[in-house]
Amino acid sequence: MTMSRRGPDALSRAREFSLAGLLGALGLMLPVGFHALGWGGKVFLPMHLPIVVAGFLVSPATAISLGVAVPFLSSVLTGMPPLAPPIAPLMALELAAKAGTASLLYRSLRAPMCLALPLAIVADWAVLALAVSLAAGFFAIKTGAFHYVLVATVVSVPGTMLQLVTVPLAVLAIERRMPRLRPRTKNAPE
Amino acid sequence: MGVAPLLLVEELSYAYPGGEPALRHVTFSAGAGERVALLGANGAGKSTLLWCLVGVLQAEGRVAVAGVELTPATQPEVRRRIGLAFSEPDDQLFMPMVAQDLAFGPRAAGDSPQQAELKARIAARQVGLEEVLLRRAPHELSSGERRRAALAAVLTLQPQVLALDEPINSLDAPGRAALAETLVGLPSAQLVATHDLDFAHRVCSRALVLVRGALVADEAIEALLKDEERLVAYGLLAPVRDR
Amino acid sequence: MVAITGFLLAVFLAPTRPLWPAGALCLLVVCAATLGRLPAKMMCRRMLSISLMVGLPFALSRLGGEETRAAGETFAVKSWLVAGAFVVLMASTRAVTLLEITGHLPVLSGFSQLGGFILRGADLLAEEVTHTNRAWALRAPASAIRIRLSALAWASVSLVTRATVRSERVGAAMALRGFDGRFFAPPARRLVVCDLLWGGAFGLAALAIGIVGRWA
Repeated sequence: MTMSRRGPDALSRAREFSLAGLLGALGLMLPVGFHALGWGGKVFLPMHLPIVVAGFLVSPATAISLGVAVPFLSSVLTGMPPLAPPIAPLMALELAAKAGTASLLYRSLRAPMCLALPLAIVADWAVLALAVSLAAGFFAIKTGAFHYVLVATVVSVPGTMLQLVTVPLAVLAIERRMPRLRPRTKNAPE
Repeated sequence: MGVAPLLLVEELSYAYPGGEPALRHVTFSAGAGERVALLGANGAGKSTLLWCLVGVLQAEGRVAVAGVELTPATQPEVRRRIGLAFSEPDDQLFMPMVAQDLAFGPRAAGDSPQQAELKARIAARQVGLEEVLLRRAPHELSSGERRRAALAAVLTLQPQVLALDEPINSLDAPGRAALAETLVGLPSAQLVATHDLDFAHRVCSRALVLVRGALVADEAIEALLKDEERLVAYGLLAPVRDR
Repeated sequence: MVAITGFLLAVFLAPTRPLWPAGALCLLVVCAATLGRLPAKMMCRRMLSISLMVGLPFALSRLGGEETRAAGETFAVKSWLVAGAFVVLMASTRAVTLLEITGHLPVLSGFSQLGGFILRGADLLAEEVTHTNRAWALRAPASAIRIRLSALAWASVSLVTRATVRSERVGAAMALRGFDGRFFAPPARRLVVCDLLWGGAFGLAALAIGIVGRWA
């Protein structure tokens, strides 16, 4: 007897959201730890690490939702990133783009991780540049948008390197432990 | 002519991938209102059996609750009839507030927020959980309160069979006594997996004993507990020289 | 909700020259913090970290022309005001309460649920981190920095792995309670008269300051 479409989808969705919730919680806690050690969120991008890992393990819609939700929740709970100046909204766009791109490329299009992760990082920079330009235009700030993006990108190079090293390791370790999470073809068994 | 059993398990077998068989042709039944202890040493297959009853693990054999046979298509229906309380309550409390956890099941079943809230309050009262605790986060509750909250979360669906996996883990003596009293007061049939023979005796009238996945005994608990030799053989009691 | 909405509108409307509307809004925030008996030390600490973020662009704007200086002032004053209001909100309101309030808003139910899972996940992980720290402190109280960093790294890896395994069990718990893939918004928090009075008063007062400041 074939499995009904409803059962496994509901269980998969439940597991996915549960996993997203726990990785999102890590996204809340890691920055607190980094700030306590004085290492600077802007340099090492601690919030990005679990969210990008989640991007490789959950569907694009869930990844984007997580990317949007975590910075705002963190802002409400811990005050960082701040809502004003509007760093939390910018981070939400960045993380949504990064996690969503990673999920789309790795899980939906079956791209290898060595391609999906760098492209996800590039998508992050592109969306940040676009968002800052639009915000600058909205607030009639004539100069500084390009410089802001350039500085943010350069300052966060250590964080980007950290992602390039730790995210693949984390994803592979988790997939080895839970093979169910590997992206699979439509008709492959659960 | 006997009444059809509420819970029927026939030739249930399960093996974890790459491992030894965890359940071997287990067959038993339970009637409405009956409280059955599921006894066995660590690794005997108690938790595995409970997970198979609710279809989380896909076992071979037959499971039927109130005449509804467990198949992939009937899984949601069977899961409404059997409520499983996990050994670790934190795995079952996944909402930020206890009241939301308790209301989750009824809301998922389509109840309105008001109906779900009412069912949550009733279930909380059934397990002796104070109403003021409903508005707290689960981590603000003691371990005993969390266990009650997890049990209440299962009871909101008013299952006909209640399966409990090691319900007295991390409970002190008064906590165990209170939980025993609660369980005895519930109308549903119960399957209680536990190591604690005192607790099993207090709550249940019948015992099933698993040894390495096989059902080796199915009898009145009084008779079983009197036979020390068998208890030692089944791994339920340490040999005399080790006590 | 009413209070914050009114305050945000007021900040948007209020000019930075003259300074009195901004000053009045700041006073309103201080009054709210005082009435809420929020610890001054905690408030100052949070505002300090915001100030560092706001201060740098403000300082840079002083180097520019008249227009840039005015833009910098506006940016700094308004950011500070909004940040202050949110610090008071965060310090006086439970995160769970904020999620409950989304029940009154047409927010996507999936977002609310995800927010709830994240909050619950944070509680669980915080407990695990506390236990890990205690265990580690008891076993190696005066260890070298290299050992501490190594322990931190391994604890983080362990947290991530346990989180993924736990998600399996939580997913099963949801499915066993009848979850069928559709999410629902959390029950809306019942608003009491006190909530409405205070929130309404604060929001209206802020709005009045903003409107008068703009058009007076």
